[in-house]
Amino acid sequence: MQSTKGLPLDVRLSAYIDGEVNEAERKELEQLVARDDEARRVFDMLQAGNAFGNKAFEEFLHDPVPLSLVRRIKQGPGVNPKIERVVTATPRQAKQRLWPRALAASVALLLVGGSTGFIIGKTSNDDTQPVNLAAARTWLDDIADYHRVYARQTAEHLVEVPASAEGKIEGWLASNVGVNFSLPDLSDKGLTFEGARLLVAAGKPVAQLMYRDQDGDVFAICFLKSTPGSTDGKMTESMRDDIAMISWQKAGASYVVVGPSSDANLHQLATAVSTAI
Amino acid sequence: MRPAAESNEFRRDLVSVLPKLRRFAMTLTRNAADADDLVQEVCERAITRYHLWNGEGRLESWIYAMTRNLWIDEIRKRRVRTGSGTVDASEQDELSIEASGEKAVYVNQLQKMILSMPEGLASVFLLVNIEGHSYREAADILKIPIGTVMSRLSTARLRLAAMITETTERRA
Repeated sequence: MQSTKGLPLDVRLSAYIDGEVNEAERKELEQLVARDDEARRVFDMLQAGNAFGNKAFEEFLHDPVPLSLVRRIKQGPGVNPKIERVVTATPRQAKQRLWPRALAASVALLLVGGSTGFIIGKTSNDDTQPVNLAAARTWLDDIADYHRVYARQTAEHLVEVPASAEGKIEGWLASNVGVNFSLPDLSDKGLTFEGARLLVAAGKPVAQLMYRDQDGDVFAICFLKSTPGSTDGKMTESMRDDIAMISWQKAGASYVVVGPSSDANLHQLATAVSTAI
Repeated sequence: MRPAAESNEFRRDLVSVLPKLRRFAMTLTRNAADADDLVQEVCERAITRYHLWNGEGRLESWIYAMTRNLWIDEIRKRRVRTGSGTVDASEQDELSIEASGEKAVYVNQLQKMILSMPEGLASVFLLVNIEGHSYREAADILKIPIGTVMSRLSTARLRLAAMITETTERRA
């Protein structure tokens, strides 16, 4: 423990807040704050600064980690980040990208609602653009967009059907998607099941199971019915900016596990899901 | 040479600390572009030297100290390039890197305010108040005396408190 005797009051109180003073000084400073208005004012300012700083620094953790760096570390030598470098997703860029994706997700939700058919039927000059977009995108692109939007939601809006209705989720999704499954218990991976959504990706219904870890990061398992007989099982990893995806096919269904690209254990998670689901 | 499994485990650990490492780098460089370059360099060095990591204590502390050292090296190189002499940057109280400029891209006003603090304040605040390092650990990582950690921390807290007032007045 440091002796703070003789140091300025704000330095002493700051050390007191951090528990970096000995017992005698702790008692002395406690009494000082209790009886002295100026000491209490400084103490309150230090505490307020703490709270403000905590909030501000939390924001930094939301910045996407450069994709090239994650790849470099995961894949080891052979990938030269100086050559392969992907433009860092700066916060401002991230904000700009969010809108089109939010828009895309909104459009997809409209599809779920069944209103798109009406819109298309009533629109005369929009024949070409949707076709081109559909041809260029895969279901994984849609899933990445969904994840980017939903992973930012608060607990209240994260899912369509909450985990409390767990008993109904399997039947509901299996009947809509056409894939029988069991809800994976990923608690040993530090993930808590939050609930589920029914999405539309590449024009097909997709089941989405949402989990959250202790840090609040959201992980999703998505699957849809695919070509009968597809039993590939080989896992493929891909990244969309700050989102990592590990996908595979098994028994007539396509699966993907989605999470933050900074998560180092996504592959193990996907393996566990493949076994359990 | 350690087995490949250990190397893979180290890589996984390294990836998991990347967001925190980048945040720490931002407090040193005070702009995103330099921070990303620094983080990349640190990771490359950490991977080639992971056999030197003894597995004791916090990985962050080892990586952070490496980050700080590399940044000091970078400052020294820049000084030489700009003809400012070859004074050991670690002996300087302040590293004299401008927080503003075209490279500085901030996610929001809060980050901008944090990074506009005088050099050295944000790093100490982050290490002690946010990440729970002791004064001794923070001093070792930043290679500064404990007394400097104490005074910088106090100054950082008071500056942050003052920012609350500034923010409130700006909104009013």
